[in-house]
Amino acid sequence: MSRLKYFLQQSWLLLASSFCFGLLIAMTNAALSDRIEQNKAAKLNDITKRLLPGAEVFQPVAAEIQIKLPDGTQEQARILEVLAGDKQRLGWSFNVHGSGFAGPIELVLTTDQGFQKIMGFDVLASSETPGFGDQIKSDYYRRQYVNAPTEPLTLAKTGDPAMADSQIVAITGATVSSQAVVDIVNTFLPQIKSQMQEKGLIGNVGP
Amino acid sequence: MDRFVALLMGFLSVVLVNNFVFTKFLGTCPYLGVSGRMDRAFGMGLAVTFVTALSGTLTWMVDAWVLTPLHLEITRYICYIVIIAGAVQLVEMYVRKFFPSLYEAFGIFLPLISTNCVILGICLFLDVWGTNSLLEAVVISTGTGIGFTVAICIMAAIREELALADVPEALQGAPITLITAGLLTLAFMGFAGMIK
Amino acid sequence: MSAPNGSTSGLYSKALFTGLWRENPTFRLMIGMCPPLAVTTAVKPALTMGLSVIFVLVCSNLVVSLMRNLLKPHLRIIMFTVTIATFVTICDLFLKAYQPQMSEILGAYVPLIIVNCIIIFRAEACASKSGPLVSILDGVGMGTGFTLALCALSAVRELLATGHVFDIQVMPKAFVPWLALQMPVGAFVTLGLMLGLINVLTRKREVATEDPEATVAPSAPAAPVPATT
Repeated sequence: MSRLKYFLQQSWLLLASSFCFGLLIAMTNAALSDRIEQNKAAKLNDITKRLLPGAEVFQPVAAEIQIKLPDGTQEQARILEVLAGDKQRLGWSFNVHGSGFAGPIELVLTTDQGFQKIMGFDVLASSETPGFGDQIKSDYYRRQYVNAPTEPLTLAKTGDPAMADSQIVAITGATVSSQAVVDIVNTFLPQIKSQMQEKGLIGNVGP
Repeated sequence: MDRFVALLMGFLSVVLVNNFVFTKFLGTCPYLGVSGRMDRAFGMGLAVTFVTALSGTLTWMVDAWVLTPLHLEITRYICYIVIIAGAVQLVEMYVRKFFPSLYEAFGIFLPLISTNCVILGICLFLDVWGTNSLLEAVVISTGTGIGFTVAICIMAAIREELALADVPEALQGAPITLITAGLLTLAFMGFAGMIK
Repeated sequence: MSAPNGSTSGLYSKALFTGLWRENPTFRLMIGMCPPLAVTTAVKPALTMGLSVIFVLVCSNLVVSLMRNLLKPHLRIIMFTVTIATFVTICDLFLKAYQPQMSEILGAYVPLIIVNCIIIFRAEACASKSGPLVSILDGVGMGTGFTLALCALSAVRELLATGHVFDIQVMPKAFVPWLALQMPVGAFVTLGLMLGLINVLTRKREVATEDPEATVAPSAPAAPVPATT
């Protein structure tokens, strides 16, 4: 009993202030959590809007689509159906990720309404070397993906970057990062496409 | 076998490729402050390795088994720092009681390192990197500590030589240490991209 | 921080101004070195980090100062850390809510404010010994000193690494960006050279004024003696 008393005597301030601090954090969290959630969604939607002009409505796809990652693990893909203001489908948008040269790369990838063509991608997060691998964010590199077919892409050292085909021309000095983006797209796109066709979300027409 | 290779790669990755000191600037204070002499640097490194391994594992367990199921992620930082402080205290008492000679060697650093960024850093990055097994958490947090030891020992060895070098007056002391650190970082950039 | 027995206003101004230069945490004391190196690739994140540190420093100084007479010696440090961690969590939530982009760039460096030595050092050295007002002023002063150091460093790095500061193009178009300054090496070398510059400047002033008190020698220790094995 006296031990308990001693314990309380020594630590009442710690206990009391922990309680107050906990309350303070809970209040802040309650006040801000909605906004934080909104921000997260808004960021994805903003990128999608840039890639698919005219996009206004973003509906998460309810169907479960399982992606097998290169390291053998499975995860569920997060896919958004992108609609214009008049409820007409503009395309699809999804988060994809993989490892780059210096760390993980996270991308937002969009396709057209029938999943025939890639409409472009943008980088959500990456830690590639500034000036080299970092150029996967450049328009020069990203433009090559616009209108590329949704079939496995290949990376080439030389070629015509203006051609809308499945061949992506690597960034000089950043082959690994260029390859990483191609690999990420190649991991996710075919799996999402075939599963969406199975589930009847998109037509079965070949490319 | 694959699992073993993955763990080994993860370990090498935090020791060399994603070394906390060289790529994330964590633990820069002791790295610049305590690296004057080799023996002290090594002692500091050992103490940090010990505590990172312990608190990295503990925080991972608390995070995965208590905070996430209860949706208390918001109190994460407070829990982490309390666990770290507790771990440091525990290690100090244990080492002092059972390994007095070891305590002589690195005990003096123990109170210092509860505010070492490496330790809180690894607890946070275990979450950022999405570590999803206990074994992985143990290996990576130990590796981080070893990476710190490697960095601080290299630095100490260079600084012992630097004491005899003819450094311009304006750059003596802290500035030349920082520039040396910069060049070391450049050297370690050579490891970038080796392990994903 | 035992103040001289001067007037109260002298005490306040001392609390406010020591942190700006004489005991500037980054340039003179060399403590809390992780953010100055990690977040100074551009001015905006550096400024955000600086303001966050001011917020946490002022709040924790205030709270610690208010409960300074109730502290038990052996539970002191843990009280400080819990207080700091609370305000850092709050600051992190605010950043996530109102500055999502900055919050993402700063990432784990926001929670790492908890272990920033400056804050616990001020709690220990100032707030646990002096009244609320002095503690707040001390927090503002130290925090501002830290922020200024961060801004100075990041301005140099951003200017040379990208040619613009705050999205304003400063350098002529023909300027070739020094991309190395955006990498970790740039942080160390720039800070090293800046400290060297400061050494030169203060040494000149020292000679000019011949006031030994005007320059507290930078915490650079005397050249270490090689360890004898």
